[in-house]
Amino acid sequence: MRIRKKYLFYFLLISSSLIAATTTSIDSIISYFYISNPWVFGVSVFLVGMFITIFLSLLLSVPFRGKSIGSRIDPSFNRVRFLKREELGYHILAGMGNTVNTLGYFYIVSTFVDPSAVLPFFQVVILYLLIVESLSEKDAPTLAEVESSIIVTFGAIMASISLSGEVNVMAMLVIFLIMNPGWVLLAIYQRKLKLMRINEGHNDSINIRLWNVIFTTIFTSAIVLVYNKNYFFEAINAASMYYPWLSLTMGVTFFAYVLYIRALGLGKASISQAVKASTIIFVIPLSLLLSHYMNFSFSAGPTLFIIKIMGITLVVLGVATFALTDVRAYVFINAKGDQSIEDLMERIWHIRGVVAVSALAGKHDVLAKVRIRTLGKGYERVIRRLEGIDGIEKFSWQSVLKEWEEI
Amino acid sequence: MIKAYILILVYVGKLEEVLESLRKIENIRSIAVTAGDYDIITKVSVESLEELLEVTDKIQLSGGIKRTTTSVIEKEIEL
Repeated sequence: MRIRKKYLFYFLLISSSLIAATTTSIDSIISYFYISNPWVFGVSVFLVGMFITIFLSLLLSVPFRGKSIGSRIDPSFNRVRFLKREELGYHILAGMGNTVNTLGYFYIVSTFVDPSAVLPFFQVVILYLLIVESLSEKDAPTLAEVESSIIVTFGAIMASISLSGEVNVMAMLVIFLIMNPGWVLLAIYQRKLKLMRINEGHNDSINIRLWNVIFTTIFTSAIVLVYNKNYFFEAINAASMYYPWLSLTMGVTFFAYVLYIRALGLGKASISQAVKASTIIFVIPLSLLLSHYMNFSFSAGPTLFIIKIMGITLVVLGVATFALTDVRAYVFINAKGDQSIEDLMERIWHIRGVVAVSALAGKHDVLAKVRIRTLGKGYERVIRRLEGIDGIEKFSWQSVLKEWEEI
Repeated sequence: MIKAYILILVYVGKLEEVLESLRKIENIRSIAVTAGDYDIITKVSVESLEELLEVTDKIQLSGGIKRTTTSVIEKEIEL
């Protein structure tokens, strides 16, 4: 199927958000009715999750009409495979990130009566990602990206904050210093893994999720064993008692993550995270439904209602701004006679905003694909830099008006 | 695996018709409508040069095409 790439990016993330909202609701049911100790819940969910993830990954490896079933979800997926040596470091860091983030979450849930009063600040992770990307990635954020991210972040906080809880300084510290950095580690290294080339092709999101769950299970179990070994043994017991519920939540989470990781390969982590903030919209009707069966009130006072509507509006506006401010172009380049094409490719590749460089046989020597937020940035970041390269005889800029790519 | 860009010039008023035809051709990985020297830039992946010729022929015969220029990719760096 050939569709527009940016539609695929938003489709993947919004689907992932919808599934994630469902998972959150299942987690609430398990925590409320079956496993109230969050440390026990955390370890047991990963222990069962590891097996269910392996099972789903193997199931998706089964061939069907010449391709694996999983290739329908991610075309890069062929079958379950062992880790490559070059992936190991990134997987360890992503696993550590997931562990730290998850344990921070357990701490908040176990210590504070109303986690909903502080957890919305988890959305600030979008701004952390913007800062990290501006330091580490080729494509630093533009003003439009920073503005849209701030709009989404504050919109998400407004839409999900509970007015019934008190804001606790300790909880805020855990969120800002433990949970958010943990998520940044997870998002950045999962994106690096997705962009890696494995066996001549792109890395696939199903194997990335599988190995992330394995590493997270190991790290989480080790930390909980050190913290309180009784919790670990209680978790084994809980895993054997409530495995249908735990399998359900981790099975659903598996698909949410696979779609999210695949989207990470198409766009920056900060923008993926901002679009994923739409979870807060999907979770509202689910919370309303759960409030009928569980002992918590989903406040519908006029003040909270207005704040939530304002927050949702901001999230939608921010996400739409991301979608509409995307400029792509091809730049055809002709080299001077005494210029090494490989050397020229390398120099062009290091220009911010250049996402692909090809050496061509024919009328042009090199073709660079550019992706930026505004045409002005195209001039400042790309054209001025190309003009500064000695080996270029001439180049021509072709703005992309519309694009379809095979998915 | 051979990859190539096929750069296309289209007769005025035929753009939509050409795009419809291109979207049905196998082995075309991406289609971009552009403003500049070319009207459409397509990226193609094929197993052999013979297969590349088949794709080029299909494009040429899809109607509304003024000219095509094929550039085979010798090396590629991408995110």
